[in-house]
Amino acid sequence: MRNESRYLLLITILLAIYYLICGYYLNRLGYMSQEAIFYIEKSKIILDGLGNRLKVMGLTAPILPFYTSFVFSGLSIIPIPAPVIASAIFTAVLFYIMGSMLLARINDSFYLLLLVVIFAVHPGIIYAATSGKSISMVLLFFFLFFFNLLKFYRSNTTFHVSISSICLVILIFCDYKFIWLTLFFIPLVLSITIQSLNLGEQESIFRLFLSFNNPSLRRKLINKTFALYIILFILPLSCVVCYKLLNLTHANDLNYFNESPYASWTVLADKLSFDQLSTSTVYQLPETSVLISARFIIYCPLILVALYLFRDSTYQILTLLTPFAFVEFLHIKYEKVFLAHEYYLMFIVLSLLCIFYKAQTVRNKNALKIFVGLIALIQLYTGYIYLENSSIGEERKFITTFFKREPDARQNENLELASYLNHLPKNTRILIDDAIAFPIVAFTDDVKKLTLPYQTAFLTSIEAPDKYEDYILLATDRNTETGFTQLNNKYVPVIKKANSTLKLRRVFETTDWILYKIGS
Amino acid sequence: MSIPEILVNDGFITQRDREKIDDFSARSGQSFIKIALNYGYISRKNYERSLINAGYTLQPIRELDKNEDVLSKIDLKFADQHVAIPLYMANGRMVTVMADPTNQFFIDFIRFTYDCEPEIIVSSDLDIVWLSNKLLGGDYVKSSVFELLNRDPANSAFTTFSSGQLVFFFVLLGLVAAGLIISFKNTSIIINIIISVFFLVAILFKLFLALVGSRFELHQAVTREDLKEIVEDELPIYTILLPVYKEDKLIKKLIWNLQAIDYPREKLDIKLLIEEDDDKTLNAVRNLSFPAIFEVIVVPFHMPKTKPKACNYGLHFARGKYLTIYDAEDIPDTDQLKKVVAMFNKLPSNFICVQSALNYYNRNENFLTRMFTLEYSYWFDYMLPGLDTLDIPIPLGGTSNHFKLDNLVELGAWDPFNVTEDADLGVRAYIKGYKIAVVNSTTYEEANNEPINWIRQRSRWIKGYMQTYLVHMRNPAALLRKLGLRGFLGFSFFIGATPLTFLVYPFLLAIFISYLVFDLSSIRTLFPDWVLFMSIFNLMVGNILMIYINMMAVFKRRFYELILFSIANPVYWLMHSVAAFKGLYQLIVKPFYWEKTDHGLSKVINPTNVVK
Repeated sequence: MRNESRYLLLITILLAIYYLICGYYLNRLGYMSQEAIFYIEKSKIILDGLGNRLKVMGLTAPILPFYTSFVFSGLSIIPIPAPVIASAIFTAVLFYIMGSMLLARINDSFYLLLLVVIFAVHPGIIYAATSGKSISMVLLFFFLFFFNLLKFYRSNTTFHVSISSICLVILIFCDYKFIWLTLFFIPLVLSITIQSLNLGEQESIFRLFLSFNNPSLRRKLINKTFALYIILFILPLSCVVCYKLLNLTHANDLNYFNESPYASWTVLADKLSFDQLSTSTVYQLPETSVLISARFIIYCPLILVALYLFRDSTYQILTLLTPFAFVEFLHIKYEKVFLAHEYYLMFIVLSLLCIFYKAQTVRNKNALKIFVGLIALIQLYTGYIYLENSSIGEERKFITTFFKREPDARQNENLELASYLNHLPKNTRILIDDAIAFPIVAFTDDVKKLTLPYQTAFLTSIEAPDKYEDYILLATDRNTETGFTQLNNKYVPVIKKANSTLKLRRVFETTDWILYKIGS
Repeated sequence: MSIPEILVNDGFITQRDREKIDDFSARSGQSFIKIALNYGYISRKNYERSLINAGYTLQPIRELDKNEDVLSKIDLKFADQHVAIPLYMANGRMVTVMADPTNQFFIDFIRFTYDCEPEIIVSSDLDIVWLSNKLLGGDYVKSSVFELLNRDPANSAFTTFSSGQLVFFFVLLGLVAAGLIISFKNTSIIINIIISVFFLVAILFKLFLALVGSRFELHQAVTREDLKEIVEDELPIYTILLPVYKEDKLIKKLIWNLQAIDYPREKLDIKLLIEEDDDKTLNAVRNLSFPAIFEVIVVPFHMPKTKPKACNYGLHFARGKYLTIYDAEDIPDTDQLKKVVAMFNKLPSNFICVQSALNYYNRNENFLTRMFTLEYSYWFDYMLPGLDTLDIPIPLGGTSNHFKLDNLVELGAWDPFNVTEDADLGVRAYIKGYKIAVVNSTTYEEANNEPINWIRQRSRWIKGYMQTYLVHMRNPAALLRKLGLRGFLGFSFFIGATPLTFLVYPFLLAIFISYLVFDLSSIRTLFPDWVLFMSIFNLMVGNILMIYINMMAVFKRRFYELILFSIANPVYWLMHSVAAFKGLYQLIVKPFYWEKTDHGLSKVINPTNVVK
């Protein structure tokens, strides 16, 4: 066992190095996710900025992936962006935890090999590990949440249910949408409680009937169900309330972290997919409700094996079905927003968890191994196909960059503009709105030159740029995100009306941006 | 006719019982009557009936004359074994009070020692115990009070503040005052940050401990199989100390509960420790109408009048290999003693104490009892196992801590000047390199259901924590060396931080409420944005985590109906704060004063102790 653990650690380290190399390779080809760029920009503000950095530090969302990325931003000796290091390490940690759980339960190297293959080759996993996004953290805590729930079902200990609750808190602070997962646990908890009552009757529906018709059992059922709800959900819900209160005290908006483009990169990403779905004439059949679940099953057929393994336990089956209900709900709630690849990947993690948890109980182990192995191979293919045909441009771009070695030119203009800004004299002042210009800020060397919205001087500078600023960066009409900033083409006539002596001279121009030199 | 014969003739004991008593008497050196009355063979009422039927008259003896020379020739333990004591010479005869006037061994002792015939006065055994302890217990009681002080003054709470500590406090106070004068704002911010960080670390540490503790939720330190393997004949003598003061209402319940303990009768050494001036309790014992397994020891008057002093006194007479303490209202699990013996057999020899969990049988009585149950469930089910796992000094609970008697004596027993002598003893044990374990057995107590009584009890506990912290922090460097960093931090967070938290809490709450209600702009200057961020985070997260830990604990105990009461914890902590200020006041004004908790106030009929 000790030897196996040592091997596992060794494989984990090799895997982490492999992910880092892949991340470096992607970075060299110019691939960077919007999320990673957003974290880099915010880290720069915290480390080098001047002004109210606390708001940036406390209210940037999702907060935990941002913090982990921030921790790695100190490792400037490695030529890999900090978010990529964070995602590579968290994916390796996920592998290690899954591997440890596997070794503790199954004494069969086949499954370890399967795990290694999936983590090394599956395009979705590589995407999670190298894109610098929060997917790896989401998967890790999603795994731990369900793993501890399954343990709780078996041991009925407070420890596992409270660890589950803590994992759910972390999960929500890695991706706020997971707050909706709690909705689908409401019927589940009732089912768990009914199952745990000490009754002779085995059939769930009759247990429910018995419990409701006996005053003592009814009281017990209500008390226990309510207690379980509280133990499981009070921590996430109250943490969200606290976080919202902090948003209220520091940004005068309860949902600042979720709705402001200054706090979260998802606001722009969601807006883009909304625009795409609203304006596109293509009929997006795969994105239709109900069919989404089918899409997930095709993406990860192993989940069917997991459901089969738990076929005898009602509430464990219900537990496995909650992610399906969750993604269907997301699709309804966040209408016209594409489901990101992380929601697909969580089914892989969940199915592997269930298989590792239950594989020992199957009588015909060899048949199961062959079946699981074959399906896992199919999943590698579906993983590739789904990413290649993803509705989200960033995911498609990952495939073309990573597998087809086509350089990613999306950030080239931003890099050029940032390079121009870097060459401006040290005491130059440049007015930039990082709501949409965060990639440019992320690529600049010295954020002290920039006047950004987190600073109190920003509003004054907008009112009188000639007094405080030397340059101003405006978004062009062609910039798809132009509506999210005040500093766009509409700004020029407005400011000129207020100050007719203001002279703006174009000094640098790209498709999305125009840099003006201010004179008077 | 001898007393044993009279008792057999009267049918109060059987011939077989008589043989068993004689046999036990020969083995233990105790007299027949001592065993008959203290090992549940006959009740005192019936014994008196037999004596009166036989023509004896029980006389009051407290006001009789005494002669120091006569008393100097007899030892208390001998008098106690025979329930008899010679008092003075009159008309060439030694006036001797005896519970058994036919005790030939003691009569021969009088003849041999004093060279005269005894003039026997028959009296109740309780009166003789009272008188003999009062007259002969002087040295024992002095030893109970001063033994630790003489042997190990550094660990005695006789001195509350050392000179170094006083200097430290006044220098600190001076620095803070100077800081406030020089720069009020910056000093306030620094204090604010220190308090915020301290609160956050303390709460996270408690959450961590609770999680560590909850991890061992299913771990049974002693299993049913372990219990089955116990051979009754090989069980050692077990001493149980029952220190009581004015608990006349509870005596019957207490003794009745102890009868249910699953342990061989002859191997139990139960000592009811009654204060000299506590006639109420003594009379309650006198009025017991059933035979019971316990003996009375009367603790002679000596200040300070504290429970540890009484326990130290009882320790002089303890015969057991192991020893435990129960309070008057305690209902231990019936198999607790056997579990502890099994546990000690499993543990390495450096484990000298085993703590049982405490919980309450009247938890649903009112708000206070519910909150108390929440608190105890969290403390004993999560915190102590957590501390135990991490090898951090365990502040022992007031009762149901089971010791190896030899090691307890070696440690200097309880500190009579410390009002939480149990917590202090736990720390002292760790300092000496001993360990404490936690056993999966519960003693059910009566939760305090009356607010003033609760504050009295809690003020004593908090004062005791302050005393304990001050005693052991006289030389912090030495303590750090002895406990190691982990132990030192654990000790500081548990013993030191607890009173401090409760003292600071109302101020912070007041600032927060003033800020919310009055929107005081001046407060804002003391809370720059980042401090406000941290403070709000602390307030929210701290409260939520503490509430959550309490919820976890009652969830584990399956007290589901209490789970929502955890939310009322901030109010409950305010009560702690009141108690903490009372404790602080007493620490300065009367450090050794023992705030007596009234028991027996609960109207809940306690369930019998059953093995689950």
